[in-house]
Amino acid sequence: MSKMSSLFRTRKKKIYSLDDNLFYLAMKENCLSHYKHNKDYKALLDRMNFSPDDIHSYDDLEKIPPIPTLYFKHHNLLSLKNSRYWVKATSSGTSGKNVSLIGLTLTDLLRGWGMVRRVFSYHHLWSIRPHRYIVFGYEPHKGNDKAIAKTAHGFTFLSPSLSKDYAIRWTKDGYKVDLDNLEAKLIKYSRGKTPIRTLGFPAYTYFLLEQMKAKGIKLKLPKGSIISLGGGWKSFYKEKVDKQVFYDLVYEVLGIDDKHIFEFFGAVEHPILYTDCRNHHFHIPNYARIIIRDVETLKPVKPGQVGLINLLTPISVGTPILSIMTDDLGILHEKSCPCGEKSMYLEILGRSGIEDIKTCAAGAEELLKGDKS
Amino acid sequence: MILYKGEIYPNEKQAELISSLEEDMYLTLQNKETLSYLTVINACDKLYQRVINHEFDDIALPLLKALNMPYSSLERYAKVFSREGLLKKIDIELGDLKNGVLSLDENNNRYYEPLGILFHIAAGNVDLLPAYSVVEGLLVGNINILKLPTGDNGLSILLLKELIKEAPVLKDYIYVFDVPSTEVETIKQLSNMADATIVWGGDEAQRAARSFVDIHSSIISWGHKISFSYVDNNVTDEEIEALCASICLSNQLFCSSSQGIYMNTDDMEELHNLAKRVLPIFAKVSKSMNTLPLTMKAKNSLMLYNDELEGNLNNIYKDSGVSIVVKEDNKLELSYLFQNIWIKALKKEDIVNVLKPNKNLLQTVSINKNLKDKEDIVSLLAKAGAVRITALGDNSRMLAGESHDGEYALRRYIRIVEAIK
Repeated sequence: MSKMSSLFRTRKKKIYSLDDNLFYLAMKENCLSHYKHNKDYKALLDRMNFSPDDIHSYDDLEKIPPIPTLYFKHHNLLSLKNSRYWVKATSSGTSGKNVSLIGLTLTDLLRGWGMVRRVFSYHHLWSIRPHRYIVFGYEPHKGNDKAIAKTAHGFTFLSPSLSKDYAIRWTKDGYKVDLDNLEAKLIKYSRGKTPIRTLGFPAYTYFLLEQMKAKGIKLKLPKGSIISLGGGWKSFYKEKVDKQVFYDLVYEVLGIDDKHIFEFFGAVEHPILYTDCRNHHFHIPNYARIIIRDVETLKPVKPGQVGLINLLTPISVGTPILSIMTDDLGILHEKSCPCGEKSMYLEILGRSGIEDIKTCAAGAEELLKGDKS
Repeated sequence: MILYKGEIYPNEKQAELISSLEEDMYLTLQNKETLSYLTVINACDKLYQRVINHEFDDIALPLLKALNMPYSSLERYAKVFSREGLLKKIDIELGDLKNGVLSLDENNNRYYEPLGILFHIAAGNVDLLPAYSVVEGLLVGNINILKLPTGDNGLSILLLKELIKEAPVLKDYIYVFDVPSTEVETIKQLSNMADATIVWGGDEAQRAARSFVDIHSSIISWGHKISFSYVDNNVTDEEIEALCASICLSNQLFCSSSQGIYMNTDDMEELHNLAKRVLPIFAKVSKSMNTLPLTMKAKNSLMLYNDELEGNLNNIYKDSGVSIVVKEDNKLELSYLFQNIWIKALKKEDIVNVLKPNKNLLQTVSINKNLKDKEDIVSLLAKAGAVRITALGDNSRMLAGESHDGEYALRRYIRIVEAIK
């Protein structure tokens, strides 16, 4: 069995106990595979004077040139012929352009499935009890390749579902946000006994809860209900609120305490499932590593320091996403977490380059909003 | 907040007040004498004196701090509202029209009248701008409706309210509404009442205006612009330092900020030599001014790293967060902003060919003092569309009486009447 596959078979109990040697071997294997099969990736590494043979130890992983998500938006970097891909997913760019294309093979999907199965099991999210699903995201539609839509849809299979309702509904005029429908459903379902699971963009969840709070609506969702969040605040970064403020609002409007609030983190270019612990920390799972890089030199910084988030995983033989550079700023924390997990945890501070900018330079607004990148 | 006839109202009153607005404005036009610019200038000057006497420091100081600007820039900006500054503006922009009724021939007179009602859609890029736009409208006697920019910090209403305190007659000439840009119908309604809609902002704002402004009402556009520098080998280190200081001060966000440097050469080697000269000065100035936000530093590092991956390995010069990209093309473009500039070759013979396609986008070009063939080059830059040619470092200077993007605003806010004697 390949080292990559071994890594993705990490036992449930060991998810947050990091095996650096296995990770290094799997990454080297993955890097060699792409170098061999992907002309463009090979050319890129050659240009950056790097060869997979330069990886001699775990410490050398930081030398693999990380590829910015921006680069994926301008290049098709698929490593294999088209027939090998079972899924092609795109990032959730709001404008519909500037999206990354990531292709996953059957092997990639099986690895991902093994990971998802164990991570959800570890966090006790599988259930045989029926639930009602409220998704603060896209209703599935055949034209929607966004990874976030696919993962949100997948989430609704964690238990048998009695109903599924979506915030962004497919209509004859395309997608439309319809929070009022979810409000009505939440009120209706709160009177029943079937637990409810919500999932989706925190911004939409927050907007609906604020809307309900303004109307004086206070519910008590059925026992066993959970609120889960994923996908980040996207273009609503200005509205982003402190986690505690968010948790307090959930408690006030839905009667759910923060022990039943879960947050997920992942990216189409880094399809790893990060789930927060009961102290709401994103611990690094064995399937991935995180390097925080200095905002100026891009050299790795020490834990506790702010920098750009570089995510590493050997999950895919389909696309060279083994080391990707996000445009998010974050901090890795090494101090021990009361949850007992040993691996460091990531604090995401938000996207680089977003400031409340006032400008009159022609084209600058578009550049800063990312429409021109 | 709403300002209506000198009184402040909450936004909830918007619909009610807008319903009586047209009638109120027509009553003013019908019954009041045309506003004299001297009344407006007196009020502005009193306000200016109060500003420089630190009466508004509790608002101004945090604002300056947020913008990383010294107190002297407030004095500079405020001076635009001084008697001296405004009289000069009137002199230059109106010329002999300021003298009132003039003779056209033995049977006819000529004089200016305000357009009547102006609707200002202000942009938020300079905090004083919405109020300034209204003052320009007032100077030639117009009634002004101002739509505040999103995220306005309350400064515009405060200033205009204070202005009315200095000259209560102005209360019939100033109306301010805090209508969000998404309330298109309300904006359309206000625009329909006006003789002209004055639109500050980028392409998106200008395009939106074209879609809703009534066919019989005009659009006066103050759009976004792009600026740069033009040098040759005679440029001195002091001049480079002055340019870097202006770049670091504005983070290249103004229309007038330099986005890059054209050099009068076709030798790439010279461009690289210039980059090597500029880089240490740029880094030193940036460190001392400390105006580069961390998140922007991160964004630019990523963009440049991405350029390196694209194969652009040997043309990037960077140090301490500032960066210079030497480019082989000569297209005028935006930089990555926030202390990143490009350097490109542009022989003087190619100035018009390369720059003219940018039509109305060009604004300021800063040049070195000992530029060879300076007169020729200045003339070519002007022919290509530049409207301000300044010294390096003076890209964002403000002079009393200078035009705005090559035009005299007051001339655009009036009409000429010819009447039989």
